[in-house]
Amino acid sequence: MADERSFFETGLDEPLIVANEPRPPREKLNPPQWLRKRLFNSWYNSAVTLVLIPVIAYLGWRFFSFLVFNARWDPVRNNLTLFMVGRFPRAELWRVVAQVVIWSSAIGLAWGAAVAGAKARALRAGLPYREDPLLAKVRRYGALLVIVGLFLAMTQTWGPLIIFAGSVASAAVLQFLGSRTAAEHVAFLWAGVAVLGVAGFQVVSGFYGNGWLWMGVPIAVAASKLVGRIEWSSPLAARLARLGGVAVVLVVAYVAYMVIDHRGVGWEQWEGLRLNLLAAPIAIVLAFPLGVALAIARRSSFPALRIISTGYIELIRGVPLISLLLMGQFFIGFFLNTTTPLSSITRAITALTMFTSAYIAEIVRGGLQSIPRVQVEAGQSVGLRPFTIIRLIVLPQALRNVIPAMVGQFIALTKDTTLLSIIAVADLLYVRGIVHAQAEYRAFGIAETLVFVALIFWAITFSMSRESQRLERKLGVGER
Amino acid sequence: MTTSTDKRAADPRIAWYRNVRILRVVVQSVFVAAVFTLLFWLFNNLINNLDRLRIGTDFGFLGRSTGFQIPYDEGFDPRSPVRDMVLVGVKNTLLAGFFGILLATVLGVIIGVSRLSTNWLVAKLAAIYVETFRNIPPLIIIIFFGFAVFTYGPFPVLSNAAEIRFPGADRTGLILSNTVWGIPSFLAGPNIGVFWASMAVAVVAAAVAFGWRTRLHERTGAPERRARWSFGVFMVVALAGLVLGGDAFSISWPELSETRRRVVGGFRLNNGFISVTVALGLYTASHIAEIIRGSILAVPKGQSEAANAIALTGFQRYRYVLLPQAMRIAVPPIISQYLNLVKNTSLGVAVAYAEITNLTLTSIGNGRPAPQSILVLMGVYLMFSLTISFLLNIYNRRIQLVEH
Repeated sequence: MADERSFFETGLDEPLIVANEPRPPREKLNPPQWLRKRLFNSWYNSAVTLVLIPVIAYLGWRFFSFLVFNARWDPVRNNLTLFMVGRFPRAELWRVVAQVVIWSSAIGLAWGAAVAGAKARALRAGLPYREDPLLAKVRRYGALLVIVGLFLAMTQTWGPLIIFAGSVASAAVLQFLGSRTAAEHVAFLWAGVAVLGVAGFQVVSGFYGNGWLWMGVPIAVAASKLVGRIEWSSPLAARLARLGGVAVVLVVAYVAYMVIDHRGVGWEQWEGLRLNLLAAPIAIVLAFPLGVALAIARRSSFPALRIISTGYIELIRGVPLISLLLMGQFFIGFFLNTTTPLSSITRAITALTMFTSAYIAEIVRGGLQSIPRVQVEAGQSVGLRPFTIIRLIVLPQALRNVIPAMVGQFIALTKDTTLLSIIAVADLLYVRGIVHAQAEYRAFGIAETLVFVALIFWAITFSMSRESQRLERKLGVGER
Repeated sequence: MTTSTDKRAADPRIAWYRNVRILRVVVQSVFVAAVFTLLFWLFNNLINNLDRLRIGTDFGFLGRSTGFQIPYDEGFDPRSPVRDMVLVGVKNTLLAGFFGILLATVLGVIIGVSRLSTNWLVAKLAAIYVETFRNIPPLIIIIFFGFAVFTYGPFPVLSNAAEIRFPGADRTGLILSNTVWGIPSFLAGPNIGVFWASMAVAVVAAAVAFGWRTRLHERTGAPERRARWSFGVFMVVALAGLVLGGDAFSISWPELSETRRRVVGGFRLNNGFISVTVALGLYTASHIAEIIRGSILAVPKGQSEAANAIALTGFQRYRYVLLPQAMRIAVPPIISQYLNLVKNTSLGVAVAYAEITNLTLTSIGNGRPAPQSILVLMGVYLMFSLTISFLLNIYNRRIQLVEH
């Protein structure tokens, strides 16, 4: 039954074909049958049902009436900007808006590129490509949509609505265009995603310092790919041409930034929900290389590497994150040969990175262990060096196996970013305190803002965990 | 493979820079030297910076006086050394951890099994519980209890506390306020020694009864009923000791002091403790419920169907067929959840619960050196973690022995 199989988009290189397992047919029950079978199928289940119905009704009513009638949402409604970006300088707020729009476009383009790639792979394998129906997508991200809807309902100006509509529209257009791109141009879409991602970053942090390098590198990589497509007389000429392309782009980027010199807002001023949403991915990205290195070192045949790596991992995993954050707050700067104090965000992100690297190391180690020894031996038999075996054979397979666990770590880290409030870094939870410290909100209860903050985190982590479950099913980890 | 390496190593024709044995030593020495240079550089900077700021670099502060009163701990003398403060913190951390683990386990098992209930309502409620608590950061739950339930919540202030009598009792059994709760407790009497001795005898007797039932079962095939027998023997011996000993303990009732600013007598729970314990219990229960559910689903479906085929009741099916097999899968991840819970008690800092992290933070605020204080703090948590993973390793080894 070839047409029962479906493709999906992971952005991974090889096509992943997952056969839909035959499931037992669902029994169709009419309402009375359903009641009997699902609620009253034995005497104790009937008793439990009869006890639970009034309890649920009462609790549900209490919660509903709190949300709708009793809660006074003024502290939330009047401080939405504060919750989102904290005390970010208001004159520079357009940068955040631009960032949101650019990153939404990047997400739309990435989605389109993934779809185009999956279509191309399906075509190569001679299988039909089936897209998820719109309803399934809406259901998948329902929790997030509800939160965004609530947020928009509470705003008092048109601004947020326009920003939201603009972001969604640009993402949708780019997704549409991207998904219809021919297979051979998909690489350019990914280059575009990288450029948009860095551009979103730069629009806030500005173009000083090493900003040109951030922006120049993805464009240089794209340029090198472009030059590589031209047929050159010899491999050496091709290599030289590619290097030349990279150099030209980097020089142009450097000169452009020197000319523009457009100062922005540093990450010392990241606050509110923005900080929570950015700190976790930054820590993951920074911790990833360190974590992979630690994992490889822990499985190395060199005892010195093994002992040092194991010591670091167990030390970090044995202490709570808050103790590392306190270390960051009080004396991490003392480890450096400088007297200029580090910003509190830098210290916090250093602590988060140290913490995450140990956990990533353990996850990657699990992935490395899942690779059968034959794979290494196959590499040895064709005469590859140990490092090449790890890079080309072991790591790609191991990393694919640990994607769900990495998403889980990402979710946990997103929840852990609330701990920043304890060391007085103004994340979403800390901003709550700022709101209540304002004189006009002293008389208001604190439950409303807490429920608001909790709902935001709930929607984000719930959507992510759903997504990771879906990924796990599709990747079929543990089933092969 | 080793033989080929050895041959190459012994081969005089191979240059030293291609000799695997020598290369291994060289690579590792270089690596170790690099790591130690880095560590030395970091440590040296730390010492220089601390000297520059005139912060001591020794652990002498542990012997000096604490200098502040630990909240809700009237017995603690602020002049006692920092060392004692650390011990109080460790005690409070373990207390919250212990009761949190208790709550999380009971609730987690109930909810995990409920998620697989055939009753739609029960299964959905359990699913909603799990998805709600698993996806909210524990710090928010702790703050919710600490502030929305206690400080600004429905409970009266202490001077106006609710004094509740249990039906039939002639004294206040329960004091509820937004800062301290009082519950009755036991006070050691003059014959407490007799009580503990009889408890020890009872435990031994119960163990003997357990062994006897096991041997009887193995010899004659009679029903084991070990739990019933050993519990019965334990209760009989313990009660006999209690009656014969007399005056082993008395009940201490909680009472508001005359100024109505303190609770005297009974066992006093403060809002920080209740918030941390309940919040972490609820949060961890959602994780444990998922582990239990996953482990039960991991038991092959044939086992459940076989249990149905020999007409076991739902309870028997779980008690004798599913849970024993599921527990073997579930115990290691559950223990790592326990470890997480103990580490998460450090969030008590947000509701001013006097656990070790909070006390360390206050102590640093009082001028104690931060690097050493935090080193002590990390050492304490590391000790907990290493102990728990040690126990986990023993358990894993035992399971493996059973399997093979």
